[in-house]
Amino acid sequence: MPTKQKGKTRFFVLIALSFLLFLSGCGEFKDIDKMVFVSMIGIDKSDNPKKPYKIILKLYVPTSSFRQNPTPQYSYLIKDGETLAETIAILEAHLDKELDFGHSKLIVLGEKMMEDEKNKEILDFLIRRPDIQMISYVAMGRPNAEEIVKFVPNGETSLQPTLFNYFGNTGAESSFIITTHLFDFRRTMNEYGIDPILPIVEINEPGSHFIIDKSIILAKDRIPYELDAEKTLFVKILADSAKSVFFTVEREGEHFVTRLDNIKPKYRVERDGNQVTIRIKIKLTGIITESRNTLDNRKLPEYNRMLEQEMKEKLNALIDEMKMKGYDPFGFGLRLQSHTLPKDRMTDQEWRTAFKNAKVEVVVKSNLKSTGSIQ
Amino acid sequence: MSRFYYYLILINMIANIISAVPTILLRYSEDGSVSALILGVFLGTVIVVFFTKFFNAFPGITFPEMLVQTTKKWFYYPLLFLMAIMWFLAGVSTLITYTFLLIRFFTPDIPLTLMGLTLVLSVIFGCFMKTDRVLYTIEIVFLINFPIIVFIIFKAYTSKDLNWDFIKEAMLHVVEMPNVNAVAACIFLSLGVVNLVIFNRFFTHKQHFGLKQIIVIAFIASATIFTTYFVPIGFHGIKEIDELVYPWIATSDSMRMRFFLIERLIYVFLLLYLGMAFLSILIHWHVSVELFKFIFKLEKWKYKDLNIGYGILILLFAASSLFIILTLSEYQLFRYSVYFFNLTAVIFFLMPFLFLWIRRRMKGADKTKGEN
Amino acid sequence: MTSQETLSWVISQFNDTSEVIQKHLNYGNKQATLLFIKTLIDQELYQKYIINPFFELPSQEQYHLYLTMLPQFQEVPSKEKALQFLLEGNVLVAIQEKLYSIDFKLSKNSDVNSTSVETTIHGSELALSDNLMTNINIIRSSYHQPSLTIEYYLKGEVNRPKVALVYDQKKVRKKALQMIKEKLDRIDKQVITEAYEFNNFLNDKRFSLFPQMILTERPDRVVYNLAGGKVVLLVDGSPQCMMAPAVFFDFLTTMEDDYHTLLISYYLKLLRYLGIFLCILLPGIYIGAASFSPEVFRTELMLTIAGSRMGVPFTSFVEVLFMLFFMELLLEASIRLPKAISATAATVGGLILGTAVTEAALASNIMVIIISAVAISTFVIPVNEMAFAIRIVRFLLILTTSIFGLAGLTLGLLCIIMYLVNLSSFGEPFLRLYNYRKGDKNSEGQA
Repeated sequence: MPTKQKGKTRFFVLIALSFLLFLSGCGEFKDIDKMVFVSMIGIDKSDNPKKPYKIILKLYVPTSSFRQNPTPQYSYLIKDGETLAETIAILEAHLDKELDFGHSKLIVLGEKMMEDEKNKEILDFLIRRPDIQMISYVAMGRPNAEEIVKFVPNGETSLQPTLFNYFGNTGAESSFIITTHLFDFRRTMNEYGIDPILPIVEINEPGSHFIIDKSIILAKDRIPYELDAEKTLFVKILADSAKSVFFTVEREGEHFVTRLDNIKPKYRVERDGNQVTIRIKIKLTGIITESRNTLDNRKLPEYNRMLEQEMKEKLNALIDEMKMKGYDPFGFGLRLQSHTLPKDRMTDQEWRTAFKNAKVEVVVKSNLKSTGSIQ
Repeated sequence: MSRFYYYLILINMIANIISAVPTILLRYSEDGSVSALILGVFLGTVIVVFFTKFFNAFPGITFPEMLVQTTKKWFYYPLLFLMAIMWFLAGVSTLITYTFLLIRFFTPDIPLTLMGLTLVLSVIFGCFMKTDRVLYTIEIVFLINFPIIVFIIFKAYTSKDLNWDFIKEAMLHVVEMPNVNAVAACIFLSLGVVNLVIFNRFFTHKQHFGLKQIIVIAFIASATIFTTYFVPIGFHGIKEIDELVYPWIATSDSMRMRFFLIERLIYVFLLLYLGMAFLSILIHWHVSVELFKFIFKLEKWKYKDLNIGYGILILLFAASSLFIILTLSEYQLFRYSVYFFNLTAVIFFLMPFLFLWIRRRMKGADKTKGEN
Repeated sequence: MTSQETLSWVISQFNDTSEVIQKHLNYGNKQATLLFIKTLIDQELYQKYIINPFFELPSQEQYHLYLTMLPQFQEVPSKEKALQFLLEGNVLVAIQEKLYSIDFKLSKNSDVNSTSVETTIHGSELALSDNLMTNINIIRSSYHQPSLTIEYYLKGEVNRPKVALVYDQKKVRKKALQMIKEKLDRIDKQVITEAYEFNNFLNDKRFSLFPQMILTERPDRVVYNLAGGKVVLLVDGSPQCMMAPAVFFDFLTTMEDDYHTLLISYYLKLLRYLGIFLCILLPGIYIGAASFSPEVFRTELMLTIAGSRMGVPFTSFVEVLFMLFFMELLLEASIRLPKAISATAATVGGLILGTAVTEAALASNIMVIIISAVAISTFVIPVNEMAFAIRIVRFLLILTTSIFGLAGLTLGLLCIIMYLVNLSSFGEPFLRLYNYRKGDKNSEGQA
């Protein structure tokens, strides 16, 4: 029977082939216990001018039972080098196991690195390597990346480095933490009309935990500009990434704290000749959570007005500051481009001067729902 | 229309997300890609309509059979041979892209030859299946994959990191003159319909193909092309998007599934597209194999009970695709893809004229048959 | 040939005549000759319906008429047929130069069994019996259609069991019926004892992994499938029957699916399909994740796996094969063992071995969990034949994964889907999403 014959031969061909493949394939087999996983990558500027990069890798040390061994264990690899790729290659050569970057979720850049205009180069390396996650967080470490990477705060459990929980709203949902992903860093770095912003990671004085509430703007070809906690908060508000914000209002003899749960910023950038107008509209919804004086429910419109004024002043101040210094973490320039035809678009230089002279109109609409459980 | 018809079109569109198409489109993002998209969707839909109308008029008859009835040998043999080669190359381009991808992102330690060979071998036996079985395979694999594709696209559109300002910025480049290469790449997305040259054998009943179906196809085409082109821009900006060799891989790596077993979407995406690439190659090569079978009458090349014709064809396919995998670099792949897409666009644009001719002759042939 | 000559020819076919008994009845004006095999007939019936009337009825004509009225009565067309009737437990009666056969077969195996392979919570607990006639009786009495057709064949050169082909004339797939009949004609086996053997007899391919026919012991499944246009093959002496053509989804259907409310039955089906995917893919996923692409799964999971694999002397795929091998042994052992011991075997094998293996660091904890999950999900497959095939598929996938990692797993799965689609069961594609379309309005043909 022809079908029988054909089936048989095909079967044997398949068997033979699969064995061949099997034999040649076996060499590529590497087991998970022959690998070490990088938890985070730190990049610092070294003291040696010939080898400007200092790479710090934090490695997970797997233990046979995490239940019995809840305190985290890490090992570190530190090496100076001329280029990043070469340094990592040397590090790999020193190790008996294979380095796996696939699980590294955070890239810490040292403070000194920021001033060095090496960001492009670092980015290029990080993006080019296929095993480094595009979705990993990027942060700046103060005083340097090494200390941040090596620091293990109290109460950290194994498997879950505390530092990751600060970002991306996984654990804490603080309004002071800017989350920047690697791909985000790259696109803001490349694009005109928006400047990259990174969170700053510090360690508190007694050395027990991290503090992340400041941020730094890295404009192209200018020195980085640091934002303190309050400014960081406003940047987050304007970028529509703040979830729940505590905002203090202090005017006209009242002093109360509001919790704003719903913040809806909208902005438009218009251009008339060389005059640029930025119109910002923010809708706030929230409640009053704390007050020095007794509050009156009937006076909620009053409080709303006060909140609006306070917010408007603060935002105006921040944007004015940014305008003066010429930093644009909000992407106003990009917004302008997004509704300008390509032939009418400003060059980077034109935009910068236009931004400096831009008119800013901030409108705040607030809606305080209650004074909390008491008046 | 039968759902299988839509699979043919959809798979070609979806699978090309990982091929050179988005790379080509994004390369010209500032010199006329956007207008090319619009033109491409329009021309693509026109081709789809022409092909479907034509093949629908002759249910169950394959293109080679029609040619035999209506044209001379010197004409149809070269034409079919050219089509077979082209469809083989279409499969190969997907194959190469995917082999590169797997090596780069998944199993960097496995040699290129081995990976390519495995992909070829796993597909090639399927190409010799009967046409209906090919379609059933497509249906099952596609329906397993489709929900996940929808999920990824949904995830991309709802992501906070998708910056619509970039997309709008890119869209405004619509005022530029369409770029020829981009138009061709865009048309290629709609060329799933060309598979009807063989797959028409399966559609033995005349089907309804009216305005509603055309609108559905135009909508699917625009939605896919919009997603293919703009989502990577939304994630990676427009200025240096052409730096990314695999824009969609980078895009899928820009999304995180926080609570899922697999955290990085890129791996879901890669495994999913392995399925889609498999289907795409399967379809293209099935058509190619059937055409080769027809041209060289391979069924008759027998030695005892073994069919050597098939064996030779399998060997040829495997060897030539391996050769291409090993010799091409990523850049060359990109450049040749551009030429390839241009060529296909031109050829399949001329096809409808041939169709008009065949149609007239076929009617004549039917008539004479009726008189006899 | 007269009836007497036929009888003597039949007797001459037997070497040992002690079993074959010939009786001459002669009383008054009445005469008859009886021939039967003592051990095959029901002697009480014989006494009651043949001997007693002979003496009670007044004339030869009346007795003759009486015999023809009996429901067990059959005419004998030829001497070969006479021999066959005799062997089947009939009594041959020669009267007035005519030869008749009266069926007094004594069967001690006609009791209906209770289900042991396909057990369900809802629905009937009764299965088919070992007796063909009882089975036909069961089928007939729960499938009331005049179009129900039963054809009998004698197959097997030596033991010649009765084989019944049951189908609904109106609903049956003609093409499949044709193929089955052709293939039945071609069978040249010596001994046939079980219905299940037909799965191989009616299959042209030598190496086939997936069953082409579905085996069942449940009458309700038989009825359900008869209505679905299948052909049912019953063999005398076998408590199970085969149904063809069988497609992939038949093997994943339990009879209970229709007894539940819609949502529950969807849920159970979902569970089953997840189970089948899980038991095919899980070992492969473990190997792929542990040895090729550890970056795929989330960090915590991978570190846990890495941690639990510490100190395990094997590479992951040897570890998987090692544990799977023991699981398969355990499965096989518990089938062969008497019921009383098999529970102990499961405990020893499953619990003690599992704990000891992890204690001794021969396999990781996670591996043990995976193996148990795989074992459990294999049991979810309702028809046993499919479960066996799936177990082999699993090994194939482990092989591809050990070479190419998760990409190999995916490719392997795709190839298996392709293989399944390419299979046919009596002209019916084995795997296809919508198998039973209502009517013939489908817009596609077959190519």
